[in-house]
Amino acid sequence: MRVFVRILSLLLGLALAAAGALLALEVGWTWARPVDGPLLVPWPAWRDRLAGLTWQDTEVRITAWVVAGAGLVLLLVALTARRKDVELLDPTPGVTVRTSPRSLARIVGTRVRAEENVSGASVTATARKVRVRARSGLESEEQLRPRLQEVVRTTLEDLPLTRRPRVSVVVDSPRDRS
Amino acid sequence: MKPPSVAALARSHRAERVVTALIGLLALLAGATALVVGQGWLGSFRAVRPVLDPIALDTLRNWQTYARVGAVVAGVLLLVLGLLLAARTLRPERHPDLALDRSVGSGLVVTASAIAEAIAVDAEQVDGVSRARATVVGDPEEPALRLSVWLHEGTRLKDVWRELDGSVLTRARESLGVDTLPTAVRVEMGTAERQRVR
Repeated sequence: MRVFVRILSLLLGLALAAAGALLALEVGWTWARPVDGPLLVPWPAWRDRLAGLTWQDTEVRITAWVVAGAGLVLLLVALTARRKDVELLDPTPGVTVRTSPRSLARIVGTRVRAEENVSGASVTATARKVRVRARSGLESEEQLRPRLQEVVRTTLEDLPLTRRPRVSVVVDSPRDRS
Repeated sequence: MKPPSVAALARSHRAERVVTALIGLLALLAGATALVVGQGWLGSFRAVRPVLDPIALDTLRNWQTYARVGAVVAGVLLLVLGLLLAARTLRPERHPDLALDRSVGSGLVVTASAIAEAIAVDAEQVDGVSRARATVVGDPEEPALRLSVWLHEGTRLKDVWRELDGSVLTRARESLGVDTLPTAVRVEMGTAERQRVR
């Protein structure tokens, strides 16, 4: 998303520059040579077209929707173009440490998979929440879940995180009583 | 202002994000206003006016010279601002060299890549670190360090950390002759198989 916002802002910058240049050129040209007609852009035709349209016309409405939609997309892209880092405590003043959510998920996943009777696990992690979905063939959810929750909690406590994420563990097991 | 160690985490995208957000907001408001006027919520008389209002055109004709000058000035301004934004977006991150000896007549400058290379090699020697990359970022007056370390599976971050800060960063500060070096560390844990002892 950060790459995307950079591309967008490059395109917007160039578009603004082009629009500004055309505006200055056309106005200047018409001022200097009033009878020669437009220089680069057929703006008299555009002016007549706009004068013929009212705010209620379908064309105007569609354009307005498109412009509003594009504006919303730009706004959303700009707002979501942030790094999703997981904060770790500063070990010394002047040093900032971060890790990635994927790294956190890897650590938790390895620990969970190393537990007994866990045949597989998938972990999604963010700075605020860690969600574990484990599979087991031998133990039921009631038995395994508290153990896994404890394991995940200990693993997270061992890391110098600034914020302790909430932990949610779900176990899929054929031994669960339906 | 962000502290220099936090700012060193990554290239700042603030200008790009702010401008894109502003233009997006303007477009959203313009589109919404056009729809509101068309619906007749701002008056049913206004809804049937043409988009290029003759009254507005008349006003412009009465103030023709001012309007023209204003338009040319606005055009030039947009051109300059647009180009500035494009240039800012295209600019790569600065990697300043560090001057160790600033006395007149002599000079000792360590290039950014030399520092980075040395620190990265040093960091890779630490037990538990499988890979390390360093970059010098910031300004020449306030240089900062960005250090990325990849740790072996099963390594405890706290153990590695003690050695990283105690030896690697301390050595870096000593050799550069600075008391503090704002550092941003990006840690990736559990990335490589722990190497078996042969």
